[in-house]
This record gives sequence, structure tokens and C-alpha cells, in this order.
Amino acid sequence: MSLLNKANNLKGKAYWRSLDELAETPEFKDFLHREFPEGITEFNNPITRRNFLTIMGASMAFAGLTSCRKPVQKIVPYVKAPEDVVPGVPKFYATSMPGGTGSIGLLVESHEGRPTKMEGNELHPQSGGALGSHQQAEILNLYDPDRAKWLSQDGVQKNWSDFVAWWREQYPELLANQGQGMAVLSQQFSSPTLARLKKEFENTFPQAKWVVYEAVSDENILKGIENATGQALQPVFHYEKANVVLSLDSDFLLKESDSIRNARGFANGRRIESEKDTMNRLYAVESTFTITGAMADHRLPLQGGQIGAFAAALAVVLNRKGASISAAGNLQDFASDDFDQKWLDAVTDDLLANRGKSLVVAGRHQSATVHALVAAINSALGNTGETVTYYPLTDKAVSDRQTLVDLTSQMEAGAISTVIVLDGNPVFDAPADLNFSSAFGKVATRIHCSSTANETSALSNWHLPKTHFLESWGDTRALDGTMSVIQPLIAPLFAACKSDIELVTLINSGSELSDYEIVRQSWQGPARIAAGEKNWRKVLHDGVLENSALSTVSASISRSRLAQQISAQPISKAKANAESLEVAFVPSTSLFDGRYANNGWLQELPDPVTKITWDNVALISMKLAKEAGLKNGDVISLEKNDSVLAIPVWILPGQADYTLTVALGYGRKNAGRVGTDVGANAYAIRTSGAPDYQGGFTANKIGKNVEIACVQDHSTVDGRPLVREGTLDHYREEPGFAPEMEETPPLVSMWKDHQYDEGYQWGMTIDLNVCTGCNACMTACQSENNIPIVGKEQVSNGREMHWIRLDRYFTGEDLDNPGMVYQPVACQQCEMAPCEQVCPVAATVHDDEGLNVMTYNRCIGTRYCSNNCPYKVRRFNWFNFTKDTPEIVKMAMNPDVTVRSRGVMEKCTFCVQRINQAKAIAKSEDRQVRDGELKTACQQTCPADAITFGNINDPESKVVKMKQQNRNYTMLSSLNLRTRNTFLAKIRNPNPVLESADSSEHA
Amino acid sequence: MSTITKETDLKVHEDGELVEGNPTFASVTADISRAPEAGTPKLWFVAFGAALSLMGLGLTLIGYLFWEGTGIWGIQNPAGWGWAIINFVWWVGIGHAGTLISAILFLFRQRWRTAINRFAEAMTIFAVICALVFPGIHVGRVWVAYFMFPLPNQMGMWPNFRSPLLWDVFAVGTYFTVSLLFWYVGLIPDLATFRDRAKTKIKKAALAVFSLGWRGGNRQWQHYERAYLILAGLSTPLVLSVHSVVSFDFAVSLIPGWHTTIFPPYFVAGAIFSGFAMVMTLALIARKIYGLEHIITMRHLENMNKIMLLTGMMVGYAYSCEFFVAWYSGNLYEKAIFINRAIGPYAWAYWTMIFCNVVVPQIFWSRKMRRNIPVMFVASILINVGMWFERFVIVITSLSQDFLPSSWDYFSPTFFDVGIYLGTFGIFFTFFLLFLRFLPMVAIAEIKGVLPQADPHYYEHNGHH
Repeated sequence: MSLLNKANNLKGKAYWRSLDELAETPEFKDFLHREFPEGITEFNNPITRRNFLTIMGASMAFAGLTSCRKPVQKIVPYVKAPEDVVPGVPKFYATSMPGGTGSIGLLVESHEGRPTKMEGNELHPQSGGALGSHQQAEILNLYDPDRAKWLSQDGVQKNWSDFVAWWREQYPELLANQGQGMAVLSQQFSSPTLARLKKEFENTFPQAKWVVYEAVSDENILKGIENATGQALQPVFHYEKANVVLSLDSDFLLKESDSIRNARGFANGRRIESEKDTMNRLYAVESTFTITGAMADHRLPLQGGQIGAFAAALAVVLNRKGASISAAGNLQDFASDDFDQKWLDAVTDDLLANRGKSLVVAGRHQSATVHALVAAINSALGNTGETVTYYPLTDKAVSDRQTLVDLTSQMEAGAISTVIVLDGNPVFDAPADLNFSSAFGKVATRIHCSSTANETSALSNWHLPKTHFLESWGDTRALDGTMSVIQPLIAPLFAACKSDIELVTLINSGSELSDYEIVRQSWQGPARIAAGEKNWRKVLHDGVLENSALSTVSASISRSRLAQQISAQPISKAKANAESLEVAFVPSTSLFDGRYANNGWLQELPDPVTKITWDNVALISMKLAKEAGLKNGDVISLEKNDSVLAIPVWILPGQADYTLTVALGYGRKNAGRVGTDVGANAYAIRTSGAPDYQGGFTANKIGKNVEIACVQDHSTVDGRPLVREGTLDHYREEPGFAPEMEETPPLVSMWKDHQYDEGYQWGMTIDLNVCTGCNACMTACQSENNIPIVGKEQVSNGREMHWIRLDRYFTGEDLDNPGMVYQPVACQQCEMAPCEQVCPVAATVHDDEGLNVMTYNRCIGTRYCSNNCPYKVRRFNWFNFTKDTPEIVKMAMNPDVTVRSRGVMEKCTFCVQRINQAKAIAKSEDRQVRDGELKTACQQTCPADAITFGNINDPESKVVKMKQQNRNYTMLSSLNLRTRNTFLAKIRNPNPVLESADSSEHA
Repeated sequence: MSTITKETDLKVHEDGELVEGNPTFASVTADISRAPEAGTPKLWFVAFGAALSLMGLGLTLIGYLFWEGTGIWGIQNPAGWGWAIINFVWWVGIGHAGTLISAILFLFRQRWRTAINRFAEAMTIFAVICALVFPGIHVGRVWVAYFMFPLPNQMGMWPNFRSPLLWDVFAVGTYFTVSLLFWYVGLIPDLATFRDRAKTKIKKAALAVFSLGWRGGNRQWQHYERAYLILAGLSTPLVLSVHSVVSFDFAVSLIPGWHTTIFPPYFVAGAIFSGFAMVMTLALIARKIYGLEHIITMRHLENMNKIMLLTGMMVGYAYSCEFFVAWYSGNLYEKAIFINRAIGPYAWAYWTMIFCNVVVPQIFWSRKMRRNIPVMFVASILINVGMWFERFVIVITSLSQDFLPSSWDYFSPTFFDVGIYLGTFGIFFTFFLLFLRFLPMVAIAEIKGVLPQADPHYYEHNGHH
């Protein structure tokens, strides 16, 4: 009998059997199975293929070419060696990265004064030591070869002093008329210094305006809470305390603010060690599949415009069941018959059973009314102060669309003569209906300060290059108010760069101050830190000011305000249909609102749900695809009134019918060599009235099909026990179900095998139960191991280089609402490695610590090892991918890791450079490497702490404890490769009420 | 093999003559020497020009490959091997017929081989040269490909003797050396004949060097025949071993569709199958152009067709056996790969293979078809197409859809895959045309040995040599 099919016989394992059945259905074949697009012989045009590399190499400006002779490089030794700098030993500095209304604490690795890698600061509340992909990829933004290097006035290169002189000419007049006709358009911030400077600005120029706008913000959330409570409050969620979480269109694990802390908290509430433990339960209602939906125990696809009505129905039912929700009376229209009654019943019962230990969250795409309602629901459930706490919005500036609308109309009317755009790119990302660029053009003096010369810079008189946050001083507050200093790790790479605080200081006072002095001014006084250099140095060292979090505010819901909000901005009941489609605008996982467009790591980072790189698509449901006769890559034209967007479609199981989800941030026209003209610009159809969901669109095929670079063609496990998953109940019945799903035959060896029982023996576990699939590990690995970017064409050809990838599979019977599971796969470090046996030149061998190591010098590139790797984790350098890397980008490389040349194989090494460094330190201190002291890059950054790494020869190590858990299993254990990496099975915690309903339906 | 031996032995008695038209020793020499000694025909120049151009294209593309890297091919992750390895196996396989004809049939005293053995051996040498191009160029860093050889070095680094690719290096290297020697030893008496007939001094001197002072003396013949027999003995296991070792590249790995014990015999049968098909294609053209119908007779062709029918059924059996084992093993991955071969994205390749290799040879059950030249010409070409697809199916389908569905991908060749493959045809035909032009394409001495007048006893002492 088949060992592998044994999985099918396990009780309650509907997953695998159903997948087999699933594979039989014609729909499945038509849509989901899309595995192999028609094979086309691609006449390999070297020009196209190397486009990316060529443009990457264009920047000879850095080579210092002053004559035609070979450039001479001078190496100057330290005349006076700086204290504490040991060449080859990296130093770590704490700083913080601003973002939205919060910040993220960083610990940045610096090699001889050159920052190379971002890690999270454990002391910072929004990081806790972890980072997401965006923060880690900032290192590439610092070394972006397309950064603005010169200050320019109307395209002519100028100096900072020219600008200062020019401003001083304008200053007296502006001061005299109190800033009449002047406006600042800034991004959101959460910074004591910027807040102080903004106040100063408003005092100096009372007639001037300071408008805050970002295309993707928490405006709705903050406004909703303010309107419900009467206070401007910042919510912070404590998922670790919640037994039951209901997400209403909130991708809190990835795309919402504070996603890193959310993921950590959620994972901590979900983590189990044995079948006796309990775990949280997540319900998700969402319009498109997100990684949060993938984690959910129950997921309900619903059009974005319907989710508000769902929240209202929820409030009504909760109110009926005894949780007194003040506004429920105003919502009686939302009789819940439109929604799955059983689902709603189960959720509300679950929430009510966990008063004070539950949490309802809504996504930033939902209206302020929904957020007000959600705040009321949380309050009624006793969650306020428990699973959600509120902080004052101190030192923060929040995006406000309406002020931008007003400003634009004033600019249009000619009422504004000077506009200063502080960072951001409103010409690109302002709502289309405002026609911002035309209004902007009517302003006499347009000043733009940004790190790259983008679309807005192109229309400005003055462009002032802005420093990266790793180059300048500044400060931030986290969502909860915790204060941090932004300290520079490197002098500005280009002398012309100035920080935003230096610019605002000049604007306010007409005089110059250094960023350091400005920040020190803000931090003086008892309110900040106690006097004395020592205290300041401690803040710099720690990265945060101890105990600086603000005190929480007890928010109470005002019945009248809530009712007022509901009537002012009523909840829609409209439904999208085939004639009137709904478009959902979401930030891109990679490019966010477009600011990361020129970042190659992020462009090549697959979207966690679709696995698409280098493109945005309109996600559609299978039903819509079938009705409209669309297949993946078909370009449609999305039309409403005069706005049109041509974009390829992509079929996503689990997408709400008639909702098309489009990622923002693509289609940049002035992004740089990497990001220009990548994807379609969704801002073209996004309006100020409905920036999140907009109905009334029609979609027409334009008869074109384009190739989309998707890194995973096949999306089901085809009955293979790769990702092992069970319900909590099933796990309790059969705690050993996971390893039993595949039989491991006894290993009969003809000789005495190497025992690997001495010294360090490295091993890893990945807990699939908490892995969210957020991609942070992929970027960490890319940064740590100098993994090259290969470009869209190479990715389409299956040549992406990521050493760790996130396999994503759909599960379950329901094609319209399948499950989704993630599995991070890097080298499994087999003790009986099949790759080693077949290499003819012994370039990949085993070391005595159990690592499967690569000798790049020895590799001749037969690719036999990759063929023989059952996990397909080896990556080959098909071309010299790094040959044309610009000098400045080379500064981002980790000097501890070889940059691989053409023709060699590479793969995950368990970060052998970190292992060796830890061993060297331990040896110099005459001790063993301590458990937990050494972390691989992926492990270090994982917000969910899903990855454990350590010495499996030490019975006390955490990794051994993980491997002893009964969920521990080896992928493809029947091959008997004795992998050093093992997985811990995923456990779902479905509501028994819904579970039985589900199984009876499908029986 | 024994059935064939008996059958053909009977045939010898039935048909009597292996050479038609009752030629004399002198006329045999004259017939075979005519082409190399006469002036170069125009057609030869046309053909040679075409072959040289193709070779030039191939070498240029290989130059570009060295310059840019293996990424110019369609291979990717998961299919790390593509056309280069397919072509390598295909060309090595083609070579097998030569060795089989010269060595095994020699040992089995199948004297009908004499008409085609030289031809087939030359083909072997050139096919193996074409095959050897690929392992050399397919590696990522060609400039260090010599790491494959066990060369003493200051680092004390040896190649990995556990790797089938290394076994390949030795197996194919040995095969090429022995085949070359065998061919050359067989050529010596004929080169001496040419030397004696040479009209110019330079030609005579050159041929004198290469014929190693052959005078046709009795002792020379004795030594010669002993040497030839020993080389035949050495070559015989190579026929079996080379393709067995090549099949180890696949069989020793753990990839479903590769990891199977049936591969060695299956590969050897396939090699002989494709080799005979190639000999057939070439012989049909050559005998027509050079007017050697009386030497390469219908009986030779029919015998080759019978071997193709047999080996074709052997590979057909192997194909069905693979399916049976995949089902019988109950191994999920093995089953999936075979189902995918038959109905998956590469089904077109799989059914092309089945049609060409299993269906087409069935036509040779009919004696009429076995003796029909257009039929056998088309069939021989189809068989070689089919055998190329067999290697395509093995290499590509298995790699494209192995254990983890997340890694599955579809392989599409590029212009460079196709171009370099065509280039090896250029290499092959360039060498082959040079051979036809300058060397005896049929073994003169051996043909004389099968003329009736060479054996005054008219088969009374059967098997006496």
C-alpha cells in the first residue's frame, strides 16, 4: 500500500482527499490549475533580457571618471584610527524609521561606517526585534543609484547656499504678510521635532497652510474613533490577549499600521506547544484574499462595499444578544438576512463568550463610520483597555484628504503662490479627480524636497534632495508615543542632501541650524530627558527613551456622536454586479503607495497571495473570470465616466465576486531605472470621494494578453503531505497526526554513517502554525546574503534567486473560498544530501556540524545538484547577475558573504557567516555559543517568531524542544534524507458550530 | 541476440551471397576506391558547404554561450538540464550502432556486417564527438570544466567519485578512445590499398604514415586479426556499459521518473535502436549516391530493419514497464510524474515519442515494407526523432514536475538551444563528408573476405575463419 496515501486514511483529514477531488473538477482545471502557460519559444534577445542589468549599470557617475584613463582609486588608511572600529567587525547602532503615525525601531549593522543591514530593535514597541520587508529594503533606498544628487532650480544645478540665499530674499515678505499664499504639503509624521517645527511654522505664518496627505493612511480609522469618542486617539491592538479576533477587511498581519507588533501578538496568541494548549480563533471578512485571511479559521469573502453593512448587522445581532451597543437602534435597516446567518450567529456567540478577551478590527479601507461602529462594538464587548488601548495623538500629523482637496482648489484658483512639498509625490498619488498636477502648475513657486527626483519634482521649480533617515538626525514617536531618536549612521552620500527638519527650520526662521542641533533643542527640558550627556547617550544606545510611552486614554463612546456619524456618512447597502463592478484600491505589498518603486528587492519580492513580481494586476474571482471569459494576463480596460485604466487580470480563488482588487504604487513615470513604467497606475482611477472602494466600473477586454512574472505556477499540493494541517480537535484526538502522514522507512545503510554527535550540530524548525507568510524572511535573506535581483524577464523564466521562498498552496473544497497555507522553504540541510552525492567536483559537501555547504570556487555549474534536490532550493547564476551592479549599490552588500559570479550554484547556508562569527566570539571568550545568541537572518526578522535555530546536540536548546513537539515533521520524510530543518504542523481552530455545518454540507 | 544469429545464419545459406553481381576482388577495390580517388563532385561541395555553415553557426553560438552564460538557454529552476543533456544522450546513443555492428556482430560472426561496419564506425566516432561537445559546454563555468578530471593539484582536490557525471566522463572517454582505435585498426589494410593506388607523392607519403607500413603479409594479417578480435572484445562490454553509465546520470538520482532500475537496459536498447536508424538513414543516401547498391544490399537493410523492430519493441516494453511500476509501487510522486507525462503539459512530446518509437517500427513486420526503401528511409528518420523525444521526455518532464508543486514550471527552448543542436549536425556532417570524400566508406579487405571466391569451400566448414 502506498505510504503517502496513508494520509487519506487519517480520520478527519478532509484536506488531502478533497484536494484530489478538487483537482478533478473542470473549473479547477480551467482556472486554478493555470500551471503552464502556453510554451513559447523565446528568441532570447540579449538587449531585452539585459535591460535591467544595463540600466543598473548606467551609473558611471560614481566611478569617478574624470578622464578616459582607467580610474585610479586611492586607499587612504586611517591617519588617526577611530576608537572602537575594528576592521571586519560590524557595529550595530540603534535608530528609528518614521512611518505613518508611528515609527519602527531599528538596529542597523554597520561595516566600517557603511550601513549594510536593518534589524529590528527589541526595545521598540512597534518592532520587538522584528522588521517587515519594507523596513529592511530601506537599505537599498539609501544606496539607490537614482537618488537626487544635486539641488536644482528649474532644472539648473544649484547649491544649498543658493537656496538659502533665495529663501532669505522671499522671507521678509512672507513674514510680513503672515505667510499668506504659502502652503506646506507634508506627509504624515510622528515626531516631536517636526511637530514642534510645524507649530513654529503656524505661529510664524498664521495665514499659511500646512496640509498633510498620504495616499495610504489611517485617516478613516482615526476619524472614526474621534467621531465616536470625541477625542483624537490612536488605537493600539493587543492580539496576544484576544481569544477571538474578527477582522473586517483588515490585513492586520501585513498591510495595516503596526503589522509587525500585530503579527507578533497574534502569533503569541496562536502558539501551542502541545495538544493541551489553547489557541486563539480568527474570523476574517474580506474582499480579497490576504495573508490575514489565510491565517483565519473562518473566512468570508464579501465585497468591500458590503463589509460596512456586515459590521452593522454584527452590531445589531450583538446588541440583540445582550451586548449593549449604543447605536444599534440606528442600524435596524441592516437586518442581517443578507449575510450568512449561521456565520454571524457563530461569530457573535464567540465574541460574547469572550468579553474582554476578544477583538474586532476593521481595515483602513473601511469608512470612518465602520470604524466608529467597531470602536463601539469593542467597547460593548469590554475589549477597550484590554485588547485595544487608545493613546493621545501627541506630536503626530495625520493625513487629511479634505485639506488636500481644499488646497488643490485654492491652488487652482490661484490663491497659493508658494507651495513647499515636504517629501511625498502628490503629482503621482493625489486623487485623480483633483487634477493635482494642473493645480500645482498654477502655483508660482513650487518647492519639492524628496530623496529621488520623482513626478512631483519634475513639475517643481526647486528640487531639494532629501537625506535618507540613515543619514540625518531626527526623532519619532511610536504609535503608543514611545520616543526614539533617528541617528545617522553615515554622512549624507551626496553633499546637497538636507533633512526635512533643516528645511523647515530655514523656512520658519530664515536661518540655518544643523539637524543635530534642531533635534537636541526638541529633546531639551524635563519633559523629554533629564539633562546630561549621559542620558542622551543612553537614548542613542537603546534607540528608545525608557518609559516614554504616553498613558492610555479611557475612551468612552458617545451615543449621540456615533448616531451623528452614522447619519453623516451612512453605511452603503449597494452591491456590485457584473454591470457595475467594484474596484478596491490597496497598497502594494511591495511598493506600498509607490514610494518603493525603485527598489529592486521589493519589485522582485513576490506578492504573498498571488506570488506575482514586477507587476500589479486586477484580481478577479473565478466567477467573474468565467462570466467575462477572462484568463490570467488578459488586459482589461476598467472604465468609469472618463477615467480608464488598462490592467491585466489575475484570477484569485477566494476573491469576492465583482470586486477587482488593484494594488497602488505601480505605473510610475519618473521612478528611476528600476521602477519606471512597471505595472499600471491605479491612481488614474482613484478619486478623493471613494479612495478605497469604488463601484460602477465596467471592464472590457482589449484583446491583449501579457506575461506576468509569477514565481509559483502550481497552487495545490496535489495530495502530497507537504504542508500538514489539522484542526485543534483532530490534533487533540490524534496528537501525532503530522509525522504519521508520511511513512518514514527505516534507513538501512551498508556502512557506518557519520554520526554527527559531537560539537555543534545546527538545526532549525519552522512553526507553520504561526508563520503568516509575510515575506519578511525573504528580504532579510536577500539583504544578509547579497542575493541578486534578476528582473522580470528572468523571473518569468523561473530564475528568481531567493534562497528562502514562501510556498503558497490553496486547500479545501470550496473554489470560491478556499483555504491558503504557507510554507517557507529554504535548504533543508539534509544529512544525507542528494545534492552532494551527484556533484562531480565535490563543490557541495557536508561539514561536521551538519551543514550542507557550497564551495563557490570549486563549483563548475553542472546544475546536477539542483536537479537532484527534491526541495528545489538551489539557485543558479545563469548570467553574471552582479556584473553591472553600480558602485553605490555595492555599498549595500554584506562583506561577510561572497558575491557570487556567473555559473555557480548557490543556496541557503543557515547563515554560515553568522555561525562562524558567533563561534569566533564564543571561542575568544572561552565558552560555547549560547542558545539564542546566534540567529539566522530569517529567524531574526520573523515577526511571528516562527523560525527556531540552534544546536540540536544541546538537549536544553530551544530548537530541540521544538523538535520534540508532536507536531514536528520532516517534509518528504519518505526519502529519508534526515533533514536538519523540520516543520511544525499547522493547526486550525475552527468554531465547532461552523465546522459541523461545513462538513455536513460537503458530506 | 541468439535468435537473430540463427535466423541470419539460415539466411546466409538461403541467399548465399552477401555481395550481389558477382564482383571480383579487383572490382571491389575499384568500386570502393572510386569515390575518394575521383575528383570532388559538385554535390559534395554543396553538401559540405551546408554542413560547414551549420557547424559555423553552432560554434558561433557556443562562443556566445561562453561569453554570456548558460542563461541564454531555456533551462531554469527546476529544469536545470535541457537540450544540451538531451542532445548528449541522443548523440551517444546514435554512436552505439557502430560499435554494435563492428564489435558484437563481429564476435557473433555476422558477416553481413562487413558492408556497413566502416560506415557505422565512422558514424560512431562523429556522433560521440558531437555528444562530447555538450558535457563540455553545458557547465556554468567552462573555464574550470577541467575540475572534472582527476588531475593532481596542490590543493589535493579530487573529483567526487560518487557522482554519475564523473562516471560519464570516464565511460564516454573510454568509449571514444576504444571506438577510435577500433576504427583506425580496421582502416589499416584499406589505407594501405589507397597508399598503393595513390598517384601523388604527398598523398602516398601521408597514407604511408597512417597505414603503418602495412604490406599485407601473412604475419601482419595474423597480428592484425588478433588485434581486431581483442579490440572487438574490448568494445563489446562498452556497448552495454556506456549507455548504462549514461543512464546512471538519471537512475542514480532520486527524482521521480529518473530513479528507476530499468534504465540501463532500456537505454542500451534505445541506443541501438536509434543508432541503427541513423546508420540506415546515412547508408540509404550513400549507397544511392555512390552506387554501392550491390555491396550494401537489400539483405543488409532488411537485417537492420529487423534489429530496429526488435529494439523498438524493447523500448516499447520499457515504456509500459515504467507505467506498471509507477502504479504498482504505489509511490505518489512516481505515479504523478507518469500521469503527467501522458496527459500533462508535455503530453505532445510523450505521444510523439510513442508514435515514432513504438508504432512506426511495427511496419517492419511486413517483409514487403522491410524491403521498401522509401518506407525505411522515412521510418529511420522518425525513429531518430522519436528517440530524441524519448530523452526530452525523460529529462524535461521529470525535472519540471518533481516533488514540490510550488517549484513546477514549464520549459521552453530558446533560439540558442535549437541553434547549437543544429550546429552539432553541422559538425557531424562535416566530418562525415570528409570521411566519404577521403576514406574507404566500406571495408575493402573485409568485403573481399565475404566474396564467394574468398572461401573455396563454400561454407562446408561453417564458422571457420
